[in-house]
Amino acid sequence: MPQQANQPLPAGYVLNGYRIEKPLSSGGFSIVYLAKDEAGTPFAIKEYLPSSLPLRTEGVEVIITDEANLSVFRHGLKCFFEEGRALALIQHPNVVRVENFFRANETCYMVMTYVRGRTLQFHIQRNRAEMTEGFIRRVFANLMNGLREVHANKLLHLDIKPANIFIAMDGRPVLLDFGAARITLSEEAMKLKPMYTAGFAAPEHYRFKPEELGPWSDIYSVGATIYTCIAGTPPQAGDQREEKDKVIPLRTLAKQKYSEDLYDIVESCLSVDWLKRPQTAFDLQKRLMEEPPEEKRGFLETMNIPLSKLFSR
Amino acid sequence: MRFTIFQDSRIGNRDGNEDRVAYSYSRDVLLMTIADGMGGHQQGEVAAEIAVQEITRRFQQEARNKLRRPADFLVSAIQTAHRAIVSHAVEQNLLECPRTTCVACIVQNGCAYWAHAGDSRLYVLRRGDLAAATQDHSKVQQMIDAGSITVEQAARHPDRNKIYSCLGGVVPPQITSGREFKLEDGDTIILSTDGFWSQIPPAILGPMLRKQALVDLMPGLMVEAQRRANGESDNLTVVAMTWEDQEDANVADTVTLEEEQFATSTNTTQQLDDGKPSDDVTEEDIERAIAEIQDAIRKVPR
Repeated sequence: MPQQANQPLPAGYVLNGYRIEKPLSSGGFSIVYLAKDEAGTPFAIKEYLPSSLPLRTEGVEVIITDEANLSVFRHGLKCFFEEGRALALIQHPNVVRVENFFRANETCYMVMTYVRGRTLQFHIQRNRAEMTEGFIRRVFANLMNGLREVHANKLLHLDIKPANIFIAMDGRPVLLDFGAARITLSEEAMKLKPMYTAGFAAPEHYRFKPEELGPWSDIYSVGATIYTCIAGTPPQAGDQREEKDKVIPLRTLAKQKYSEDLYDIVESCLSVDWLKRPQTAFDLQKRLMEEPPEEKRGFLETMNIPLSKLFSR
Repeated sequence: MRFTIFQDSRIGNRDGNEDRVAYSYSRDVLLMTIADGMGGHQQGEVAAEIAVQEITRRFQQEARNKLRRPADFLVSAIQTAHRAIVSHAVEQNLLECPRTTCVACIVQNGCAYWAHAGDSRLYVLRRGDLAAATQDHSKVQQMIDAGSITVEQAARHPDRNKIYSCLGGVVPPQITSGREFKLEDGDTIILSTDGFWSQIPPAILGPMLRKQALVDLMPGLMVEAQRRANGESDNLTVVAMTWEDQEDANVADTVTLEEEQFATSTNTTQQLDDGKPSDDVTEEDIERAIAEIQDAIRKVPR
């Protein structure tokens, strides 16, 4: 991810009634801040600020002097609007909720509910042993509720990966960062430059033929995310797999026991041929919620590990 | 100004030519530029095309009379070209930004100025000797500078094609400018892509230029460069100029050009106009999008 070279807003700065506390994260296209409104309610505010353009070396105003940069900036702004549009449509406990959207400092801001917790990526990196079969099945079956809602609104997320899945303090998975999301039926949105993360994007995503993208493309990314939970690293990138498939079988990478059924689920999600994947989030959810027949007891046991254990030090 | 100029670009043994070249001059200023679109990246020839066109366009826009600050102009024009390539990639939804090397040279008031990014080269040859040259932004050049390999080893090094500065791509190009170089009668400035310079070292070029005039020598030398590559020749491109005796009436003088007239020659195809970036997000679009989003937020029950 490119380094954000731009100056973040200073702590204490009051932005449209929200007081900035601190930057939470910064990525290629934005900085996310923790901020509080007048009542003291915390929010996560995402500021559109492409890191590749020098826009704010001092102060708070975004200043664009160069015409070429302005064109790039505005193109990215379109993507930011797509994200706002996408999220505004969705009200679901497993999808991050957008509360406000406004313009200030010559750029745009998206105010989202602040969820306490950590990303799935953090959990994978901290302790892969937490990634038991029961945990994986529960988290992803839950997450499919959110993804079903996304797809029901004719949206594709298109950037599902461990860093974009938040595990709230209560164990609830929340789908974050709709920066790559596209309204599938809008031609305008499909013309925007695709964004993807190597290893998690489906093979058809690299080709960027809009007509090939569908819920099955998000399903591939979910498969790659589960793969990462078990293996600790993402699978070989989709575009390379089309040339020469060298995905290391999960069975050989697992550090603990998982059922054959779970391996099969991940494998089917990661099919290069999208017709061989579960076609909808609901299909995948059903398969995750079915108990693997041969290992019923083991699976129930792992299900019984208290959630609190997951978050203990 | 009196000079003779030669330009040629050959496909070599490749399927397409990703090199672009142009020169353009008015009464008082000459521009020469070359770009080598990078293979292995999407649409290398497009990047090269944009680079040469943008630099030529800016030259013709700003050099109606003379360039006020030629060295600054070159850096700025190369940066413009870089941004134009990035904008093109954004507009065309390219997964990867096309890339190209670039070297450009200005001659004005009897002085030469140049700037480059990547491994396309410029040499100045004076009485058969190399008087000035660009230093490639390449991995092997770094290794030569560090003393870990010799020039001979570099020519065969597996990483000899790796460069760390180019136009297009995520990182803005690192551009190196040459110092102002006072030309003497008979000096030759030669710009070339690696397809040419990798086969014809300056040690061969210099002595041959002493014996033969540029325009007589170069066509045969292009053929020789390709032949030396043994059927594996990269695209090869050269634009070169010999600074003639300014009093020599046998050489055409640019004074014959009308004011603000340019003589130009290029192998670019001029087909990129419809791909030019257009800034189609207006203030109203922004306001409307925000209103829509706020409306949607209000409509969804909380």
